[in-house]
Amino acid sequence: MVSPVLLIAVPLGLAFLVPLISLVSRRAAMLVPVVACLFNLVVAITLMPGVLDQPVVEKIGGFPPPFCINLYAGPVGVLFAALIALAGLGIAVYAMAYIRTGPVDRYHLLYLLLLVGATGVVLTGDVFNLFVFFEILCISSYALVAYMGNKSGLEASVKYLIQGAVGSGLLLMGIGLLYGQFGTLNMADIANRMGSVNQVSVFVPLALIISGLGVEAAIFPLNAWLPDAHSSAPSSISAILSGIAIEVGLYAMVRMIFTVFGATSILMFMVFLGALTLLLGELCAFAQSNVKRMLAYSSIGQIGLILFALAMATSYSVAGGLFQLLSHTLSKALLFLAAGYMIYRSGSMEISSLHGMGKRMPLTSLAFTIGAFSLVGLPPFVGFPSKFLIVRAALARQQSIFTILLGFVLLGTLIEGAYFFRVVQAIYFKKGSGETGRSYAPAVALVSMFIFAALIIFVGIYPQPVADAVGSAATELLDRAEYVRSVLQ
Amino acid sequence: MTVELLLGVALGGALLTYVLGKISPGLRNAFALLNALALVVMISLLYGQSFERALPLGFLGLELSVRMNMLSWFFAVTILGIGLLSVIYSLVYMRNKERLDYYYATLLFINASMLGTVVAGDLLSFFVFWEMMSWSTYLLISLRGGSKAIFAGIKYIVMSLIGSLTMLVAIVSLYVSFDTLSITELAGHVQSTTMGQALFVLVLFSVTFVIINALWPFHTWLPDAHAEAVSPFSAILSAVLVRKGLYGLYLLMYAMLGFSMLGKLAWGALSYSNVLAWIGAITIVFAAFRALMQNDSKRILAWSTVGQGGYMVLGVSVATNLGMAGGTFHILNHCIYIALLFFVAGAIEYRTGGIRDLDSLGGLIKRMPVAFVGGLVGICGLIGVPLTNGFVSKWLIYKSLVLEGRPFLAFAAFLGTWGTILYGYKFIHNIFLGQLPDRFRDVKGIPFTMAVPIVILTVLIFLFGVLPGIPLSVVDQVGTYLGFESLNVSIWGIPSETGTLNVVNLLAALAVAGFIVWLVLRAIGRSVSVDQDDTYAAGAAIPSGKYHYTVGFYSPLYRIVGPYVRDFVDAFFLKIAGWTGSVCGVTRKIYTGFVGNYVMYIILFLAALIFVQIAWSPW
Repeated sequence: MVSPVLLIAVPLGLAFLVPLISLVSRRAAMLVPVVACLFNLVVAITLMPGVLDQPVVEKIGGFPPPFCINLYAGPVGVLFAALIALAGLGIAVYAMAYIRTGPVDRYHLLYLLLLVGATGVVLTGDVFNLFVFFEILCISSYALVAYMGNKSGLEASVKYLIQGAVGSGLLLMGIGLLYGQFGTLNMADIANRMGSVNQVSVFVPLALIISGLGVEAAIFPLNAWLPDAHSSAPSSISAILSGIAIEVGLYAMVRMIFTVFGATSILMFMVFLGALTLLLGELCAFAQSNVKRMLAYSSIGQIGLILFALAMATSYSVAGGLFQLLSHTLSKALLFLAAGYMIYRSGSMEISSLHGMGKRMPLTSLAFTIGAFSLVGLPPFVGFPSKFLIVRAALARQQSIFTILLGFVLLGTLIEGAYFFRVVQAIYFKKGSGETGRSYAPAVALVSMFIFAALIIFVGIYPQPVADAVGSAATELLDRAEYVRSVLQ
Repeated sequence: MTVELLLGVALGGALLTYVLGKISPGLRNAFALLNALALVVMISLLYGQSFERALPLGFLGLELSVRMNMLSWFFAVTILGIGLLSVIYSLVYMRNKERLDYYYATLLFINASMLGTVVAGDLLSFFVFWEMMSWSTYLLISLRGGSKAIFAGIKYIVMSLIGSLTMLVAIVSLYVSFDTLSITELAGHVQSTTMGQALFVLVLFSVTFVIINALWPFHTWLPDAHAEAVSPFSAILSAVLVRKGLYGLYLLMYAMLGFSMLGKLAWGALSYSNVLAWIGAITIVFAAFRALMQNDSKRILAWSTVGQGGYMVLGVSVATNLGMAGGTFHILNHCIYIALLFFVAGAIEYRTGGIRDLDSLGGLIKRMPVAFVGGLVGICGLIGVPLTNGFVSKWLIYKSLVLEGRPFLAFAAFLGTWGTILYGYKFIHNIFLGQLPDRFRDVKGIPFTMAVPIVILTVLIFLFGVLPGIPLSVVDQVGTYLGFESLNVSIWGIPSETGTLNVVNLLAALAVAGFIVWLVLRAIGRSVSVDQDDTYAAGAAIPSGKYHYTVGFYSPLYRIVGPYVRDFVDAFFLKIAGWTGSVCGVTRKIYTGFVGNYVMYIILFLAALIFVQIAWSPW
């Protein structure tokens, strides 16, 4: 039985080896993230069948919880870890060709740290440990956003840093208040004692934690850093930020609400917030003429949709939300990767400069189209089963308020469709000015895009294994007592 | 022969066509043709079979299935037949154009997904194929490029997306209530549902089907899309794709809900069928006037597709066996003559260098006789001249309206036909009659492979007009499948309570009348051939340049009716789109670009949470 600690320890160790390896060979350093992600993917997939039956609680240092820091590798954690490794792998392969200039070794070091942080957040069972991993994730992403070293990148990075720091501060205050109240930092232990204190007194930490994590999770109105950061970062970083970082933030928030606080009364508010985030994100995306900003706002919209589904808190809806999260990761990563090389070749992020790309870069354009269709939720791509599950969950609630909210959510999908279809048309049917010769993206980048596209189509046609996994993940997220029991037994 | 194989050949053929195109264009064309032909052969072998089978692959715990019955077969045969003719027509029409691999593959893919919608045995696979049909159609509408085609594509896909979202909600709502999506099982369960839910589902589904069938007020995507697509694809769009809406209505109204349920959904005169019938009537009249005002050969045809859809809905919503037969038969007839007319318009476009403007065409009768005959017969079918197929189906629709005591609806149908005569004449006159402009002196006839589909369809129009019993027996089986009483169809026509339609008598009467005219003319004396200019100007001096009246045809009529038949729905939708754009523009101002504001948002959010809790403690 492999231990879930390896999911964090191995990439962390490899991350710090990157500068040393790059002294020997720069090419070998580029391969380190690929190796680390491959390793994590294999470990996570090996762990998966086991944790579907029985979650693995890893006690660091051998003390029983709540006295140690423990890892909790349940279906949710392992599913996320696998997703992080998968997306990380695809994007790392892409980056081998895409990241050529600048301090390349430091890029790979930070990239690995970002993945370590994300994996740590989803596996940890300790709130302070969660904060630490969260900071690793955030700090490496601040640095990576500014990787290009140009003015807009630095500006976006500083803005992100300021807002992220405010968010982290609020999170830390919330955690501190919890510690003061319960005298423990173990999530299961806090959850266990939540019933014993006055509900009003835990509201302030709850509000602090929601606001703090909401910044990284990009929930309206805490998400203003996102469009700048995602559009100014190198495209491979935009892909990982959109595909992984904000999802991990959302996971942390949902874990806090569901498991630690058991705050069911605030869920309705979160449903509204999700629908609002979705609608505003899509409206803003529609107004963009810059393709990366458009994708960034669309990520806000998608996060809203995922929050909407998760906060409905039925087993269907949480499964649908997690499925949507997975499909967003795959689709948005593919979109950013495809857009990355189109932008690289045309030299501008304006949608108008993508005209005629269908002829110049046929494979990359096809990848973009598949990603766009999937994100809009068209069959036979992965976005469809998740959309189907969310619609089913909302209607299964059998309350008119959810049906009305669903109407707004679908309106958001419609707007999303409109702007994605506009871009696809621009790529294929508008005549480009200037260069018209074929210019394929490098083979490595195409391989990476192919992996994402193939997954999008495969899971879209045969969603059952993923549906099973998200189904048991949903059960874990919703079953608070079981979480407490399996940690503290 | 199984449906799975049929679908597999259709979808696999589409993908393989693309791959083969990378090897050799000739191979690709041959394969596309062979694939379309094979599908037609396969569907003919499936005639009369009826079965339902589960697919090996489920989806999210739901069983997917395919089925075959008369209703599916009827629609499938129109799809595959027109698909084959379109491919034949494309061989020359599309030659020397760009992106042919893409064109053929997408065309075949659209046909395959349309086929999927009609053989789907459950609503989920129906929806999946429906969506595949939507997005692949969008990918082909704008093929020609240029701002008009791009606008048409986006307009189509946005409306189609609205339709599919409403349908998704309806399907899932059925799924949540009955835990199955099999059409046959739902048909049983639905009888026990509440009126509220039945209405909810019915309205949501109807929005989808009315959009795709391009009935007023959701017709606005059609004229743009059909006019801007390449002609062989316009034929597919007009002939079969829009009729997926009617297939959906058949499924919904008669295969699933059934008469008793539909009958209960009524408040006095306001019943679902009535509303649908009036939508059909408005569509007929409005589209006829709009078609009159067009000056573009393909736009006239596109508007006529809108209008003819209204006739079908009238027939279907009357819900007698006669009306159903009329509506169903009209689907087939429309599919034949509108494909023919789009092929003719495409041939004109092909030979004249892309001219669709009716003001600048004229006099092509001698240059393109095959096109003229095809166009004339097609227009006759469209108008419903006796001895063409359109006559029989329209007769059935009128008859059923009169028998059911719906004079106003019948009047709308007649009014539409008068309009059809006017714009049909305009189409024929402005393209083929009148003076031949100098620039078209050397226009050549239609190339052989483009003439083949035109001739086949022309023959079919006559065949089904003179021997309506052949298609009507199939149409009758569709009706009986849906639970209507069988009609007593004979090969010559169809009987009804108030007189029998017998096309052979009509044929005989017409032949005798023609013979008499011929005799009289012969007795009077020989005719003298005179120059066209002499007939026009009666011997007076003729001005040089263009003098015949294809320019500004019906312009007095425009002046009278023009102000009343503006497409205000279209204008309204475009306004909404514009408003959405400005709302988006305003919304993005939330993100001001000043990091101070952003931090303020975060703090205000936190403060608001805590304030609300303290003030009202809702959480």
